[in-house]
Amino acid sequence: MKNIIIKSIAVLAIAIALVSCSKNDDEVTGTGSLKVEFENGFAENALILESPTVATSQNEVLKISSVKYIVSNIVLTKEDGTTFTYPKSESYFIVDEENPSSLLLNLSNIPAANYKSIKFGIGVDQAQYALGQTGISDFWIAAQNAGMTWSWASGFKFLAFEGTFKSPTVTTDTSFMIHTGKTGTDYNYTEISLDLPTNALVRTNITPQIHLSTDLSQIIDGTNKINLTSRNSMGMGAMIMGGADLPLITSNLSNMFSVEHVHNDPN
Amino acid sequence: MKIKYIILFVLPILWSCSNNEEVYVDLPLELNKPSNFPSVAYNIGQNPPTEKGFELGKKIFYDGRLSSDGTISCGFCHIQQNAFTHHGHTVSHGINNASGTRNSPSIQNMAFQTQFMWDGAADNLDFQAVIPLLSAIEMNGNLGAIMAMMKADPIYVKLYGQAFPNKQINTENMFKALSQFMVMNISANSRFDKYRRNEAGGTLSSDELQGYAIFNSKCASCHATDLFTDNSFRNNGLAVNPLVNDVGRYRLTELSQDYYKFKVPSLRNVEVTAPYMHDGRFGTLDAVLNHYSNGVVNSATLDPSLNQNGTLGIPLSSIEKSKLIPFLKTLTDNQYLTDTRFSE
Repeated sequence: MKNIIIKSIAVLAIAIALVSCSKNDDEVTGTGSLKVEFENGFAENALILESPTVATSQNEVLKISSVKYIVSNIVLTKEDGTTFTYPKSESYFIVDEENPSSLLLNLSNIPAANYKSIKFGIGVDQAQYALGQTGISDFWIAAQNAGMTWSWASGFKFLAFEGTFKSPTVTTDTSFMIHTGKTGTDYNYTEISLDLPTNALVRTNITPQIHLSTDLSQIIDGTNKINLTSRNSMGMGAMIMGGADLPLITSNLSNMFSVEHVHNDPN
Repeated sequence: MKIKYIILFVLPILWSCSNNEEVYVDLPLELNKPSNFPSVAYNIGQNPPTEKGFELGKKIFYDGRLSSDGTISCGFCHIQQNAFTHHGHTVSHGINNASGTRNSPSIQNMAFQTQFMWDGAADNLDFQAVIPLLSAIEMNGNLGAIMAMMKADPIYVKLYGQAFPNKQINTENMFKALSQFMVMNISANSRFDKYRRNEAGGTLSSDELQGYAIFNSKCASCHATDLFTDNSFRNNGLAVNPLVNDVGRYRLTELSQDYYKFKVPSLRNVEVTAPYMHDGRFGTLDAVLNHYSNGVVNSATLDPSLNQNGTLGIPLSSIEKSKLIPFLKTLTDNQYLTDTRFSE
């Protein structure tokens, strides 16, 4: 009953707000939607799964079979510097190259405004761990279905990047698996802040689309070089799921994303 | 869209009728910290236990339908009369008779602890149950299927409705209910506890008191506080089983100093939690004490307390052992082991 009352008041308030403001053409009111698209690439090329990439600076060529990451904690900054934080519990997404619909995040109920930058997290942040299960809702199901839970440790894989590689000394396709997440020593959550080349104009009748490009080569070939060949010392593949490499990879992620362009087409 | 409107119109009518019926009001359960315990570590404010939340958690705990073949519940490997351990199993068997590599730890006094599992894979109780539930060799549960099963079960629908204000059957509420069950799972009424609190029935014999003194001088640096654990990870000098080569805490940290370290377990109800150690290698308390006096194996990560002045292990005479064991048995809490609130 309480909800209905609150909702009714909210609807009434919005209605009054709309009516009272509708005469003022300059004022931006109401709420709208926003789409964020992720287009995965590798170095200067588009990502084609199972197809050889260009060589990295370590002279390694990858065939990527799968890439997934958790996007969370979306914050939008308006022209005037104020921010809008997307509700945390609705802000967990899994971007999965093999699942095309997951590459487009649909955000709704965003206050109409001109937004100049976007910030998001990769992974599930430490504050959420402190909250325990509060706010997680059914994200566990999505995470399990995408293979983004860890059965041996608590919580989620933040990034899962898998495939095979070759190098001058590793001449047959050899598997690699990179999983980041909370370990016994490091948290490995990171946030990405990106300025938009043109403002995203969220309106009741405009749903902007922010088009992001990722350069997956940055995961292993960014500021920190993660040489897969040297991590294949046992010949069983380069399995990077913990230890000192994860903070290095996590730090590399800050250069993995860029804004391609922003669409502001009317609905 | 139309349905939504119909609901909006019909719901208020239903509500106005429901005033005539008795509406269940969930009652909070108080988490009373025993006076001889350290403070509560669980974030109780985020998930305050209630009567129905606890009842729901208990039903989930004992429901084999959570596992992929419908047979393995949490309670399968955590049996109350053994302080929620898996008596008689060195390592537990899960789905399709798969074997794990570790002995089921007890579930007791979890609200007061900060590290869970033998290697600390969970450091927040809310995330602990996820591990065995999803593990392919334990319950191998599918969360989507579990939610569908619960939504189709009128008893679950009713309990979730009573236990949580949003009434939702979702994974968040499932794990919260399990936490509520575990948080309320307190063993604090052994003879030892009564002795510590100067309560009736708290008399220890002279052997037991001497055993307690020996314990305090030789064991309590790790088995600290009245919980009998300091929540730390240590290598206690067990010979490495080459067939398993369980690296312990190293798996989580990949730090060489963490090789073969496991959590210091609580010793409460230790009389009934055999077999002992992370892999259940010792069948009796005598065997455990003999390990500490004679069996400790040196290695790079052996706990310094077990290698003092060039002597491995803990010097223990047979007389001392014969007093330590009666003392350890004073930690048995029969009220807890038979408390029907926790029973299936």
